[in-house]
Amino acid sequence: PADPSPSLAQNSRVPADPSPSLCVLADTREISSGPEVISCLRAAHGLRVQVCSLGSSDYVVSNRLAVERLLQSELQSPGNRNKLSQRLRRLQGIFERICVIVETDRVRPGETSRFFQRTQYYDGVLSALVQAGIKILFSSCQEETAALLKDLALLEHRKGAAIQVPTEPEGHRRDILNFYLSIPNLSYGAALNLCHSFGSITAVANSSVPELAEGARLSRPQAEELHRFLRHHFDPQLLPQPPPAK
Amino acid sequence: PVTAGSVVVPYGHVIGNEKWRGSEVGQRLQGKVRLTFEDGLGLVDFHLSNRTCILLISEADLVAGDEFKRRLVRFRNASSLRGIVIVEKTQISDQYFLGVQKLVILELGMVLLPVGNQGEASQLIIQLVSFCVREQSRDRGTNPFLRKQCAQLVEPAVLQTVQQIPGIGKTKALLLVQQFGSIHRLCNASINELKHVVGQTVAQQIYTF
Repeated sequence: PADPSPSLAQNSRVPADPSPSLCVLADTREISSGPEVISCLRAAHGLRVQVCSLGSSDYVVSNRLAVERLLQSELQSPGNRNKLSQRLRRLQGIFERICVIVETDRVRPGETSRFFQRTQYYDGVLSALVQAGIKILFSSCQEETAALLKDLALLEHRKGAAIQVPTEPEGHRRDILNFYLSIPNLSYGAALNLCHSFGSITAVANSSVPELAEGARLSRPQAEELHRFLRHHFDPQLLPQPPPAK
Repeated sequence: PVTAGSVVVPYGHVIGNEKWRGSEVGQRLQGKVRLTFEDGLGLVDFHLSNRTCILLISEADLVAGDEFKRRLVRFRNASSLRGIVIVEKTQISDQYFLGVQKLVILELGMVLLPVGNQGEASQLIIQLVSFCVREQSRDRGTNPFLRKQCAQLVEPAVLQTVQQIPGIGKTKALLLVQQFGSIHRLCNASINELKHVVGQTVAQQIYTF
């Protein structure tokens, strides 16, 4: 089948550089909640970190893996149980693989090390995550989290799933990216891949399921979902509110 | 000696390796779960179900050297069971934890859960067992992290997406989708067809987009 012309930058960069600069996407809110993670990834590990508003997860490490950074205290009490499970369920719709990094809370200056009281609820959450097939990693500080993210990115790169397209579209491409991003259950990485693999939106709309899977680096069921969405026949009767009579 | 094959675990039971009889973990589990001890489980410490088993790595194992690593690798090669590795992470063994995590999760692709001591390990096993039981009883809905297949209406999303085209707001988006039916048809519409729905300028804009 016609190879949907991968960008030239990809072809020239990968073989020339034995350790191609790995790319990690970080959500904008991580600038405030995990600044050391981002600076560590950049400075110590030499990764390309693109901060963008992902909306879904904290980090996107490859075309298929999303990473959620959680503090241990968040898992200790049932307070935000609903929020967490909603987030993770949504991620499962978007990504093939999900990883959770459980980070130990920072001890503030002057505070004696808090005694970590392991609750039954905490064990329950861990068991539920294991059962749901979500990968769990443990980290004791933001630096370690950064190192784990790098390891994950390396691993995904070895498996050929690394993000290898330019992550900063400009001008007209920016508009097209926003168009793709509004498609439900499509990840930021997949939207970027669509931008670079297909010449226009029309080309995407006219593609078959295998072409979409190849071009956007999606799994088969995800590509099928995208295909269905693009060809979905709109029925105004099914809108939540009746169209405004103007 | 490398027996890591599957064992038939009766519903709701846990089968423990004989070496844990009388240990702290064993004692704490007694009474909470239906635990039986068996000889010859080989590498595995506890079988939770026919599919899931636990390998327990103590603080002493970690400090003693690489023997436990060989055990994990042998298990991974010999068995297709889902192995959950529980490791005792204490102040003494903390320094080895990152290395173990890298091996178990990133290289072997197994599950790793740290605990502070054997008491915590038994608590964790109890929770794991309860989830294993739920999984077997097909009561999967109780897991808050499993995605339920729910049919969502696509219509609002289609409308949202069409609004991302420059020059298209809520009203024009609605007109367009009513006329063309799907994004696929809209993309293949000619400029003349578009002109009938929206004006000349916007039609040109959509077409070039």
